[in-house]
Amino acid sequence: MKTLPETEVNTEAKKPPKSEEGESKSETKTESKPETKKEEPEKWGIAHIFSSFNNTIIHMTDLTGAETVAVSSGGIHVNADRYESSPFAAMKAAKAVVEAARTKGFTNIHIRVRAVGGVGSRVPGPGAQAAIRALVRGGFKIGRIDDVTPIPHDTTRKKGGKRGRRV
Amino acid sequence: MSFEKLIRIPADRIGVLIGKSGEVKSQIEKACSVKLEIDSETGETLIIGVGMIEDIQPFKAVEMVYAIGRGFSPRNAMKLLEGENTLHIIDLREFAGKSPNQVERIKGRIIGEGGKARRNMERLSDTSISVYGRTVSIIGETSKLKLAVDAISAISTGSMHGAVYHKLESARSKDKLERLKLWEDQNVF
Repeated sequence: MKTLPETEVNTEAKKPPKSEEGESKSETKTESKPETKKEEPEKWGIAHIFSSFNNTIIHMTDLTGAETVAVSSGGIHVNADRYESSPFAAMKAAKAVVEAARTKGFTNIHIRVRAVGGVGSRVPGPGAQAAIRALVRGGFKIGRIDDVTPIPHDTTRKKGGKRGRRV
Repeated sequence: MSFEKLIRIPADRIGVLIGKSGEVKSQIEKACSVKLEIDSETGETLIIGVGMIEDIQPFKAVEMVYAIGRGFSPRNAMKLLEGENTLHIIDLREFAGKSPNQVERIKGRIIGEGGKARRNMERLSDTSISVYGRTVSIIGETSKLKLAVDAISAISTGSMHGAVYHKLESARSKDKLERLKLWEDQNVF
């Protein structure tokens, strides 16, 4: 999982910035370029963004959610532990996902943002916003943005026991 | 592009969320490119994303509505827009069980005499803390937020105030040292 998006970024790193502008225009105007003709049909995917206080994981799948297109996380772009959840790391992870997904011909995405949920925090962490922005900048057309944080109707007990967390 | 989320806030915070002649509401709408539909009877707030996809910040808007609903003043809630500030909400029933008397007692410990304990914790951890109803909410940067959350849960479970301040202070000086060290070995990213 760790090496998959990185290798793809390295091999195709030079292509996407050029085709980015060409594609969005050619869809509306001309279809003369042979390169963009391949990517012409719109292809939908889902970007699942899991954003906690410790990390941000961006997992791109097809519409069924069963087939992975690209995965990246904040932790693989940053060395220090405390920066794993930072907006900067999230942005880098999103960029890696964008590159990988573009080479596979995805043009439109839905976004599903998830916080920890359950007994944990229900507000997405600091990386979510940055990740969404990076995905948008990457040239995808955005369908829906959903909040899919699991909210329990009745919870199990929060960890830490009766006497709480003792530090 | 579409984004929709329904949030419920307490009835006595609706006035604050809307503000004087809709000032706060329009400020949030402008800053996050969203539209707020507030039902002033039930307190149900529907957040709808509108405008350019590039500058829409739906989750910041959600956080801000939560923050105001959890007792923050609009001015403090606006801090969420700066830097990496985020919101954390602690439910006091985790520590107190169901008894309302216990919740009151813990709230008293967190606020302190004349707000002294709360002010001290805010100052030492560089966060804003709001005690409202059965919850304590904190706004701050991620690392500092964690310190404040630890401090509040320590006080709620019975640690002495002095010990908690001491811990916050040592964490603060450690953080300062680390910041100085950052420039010595620059290989953070």
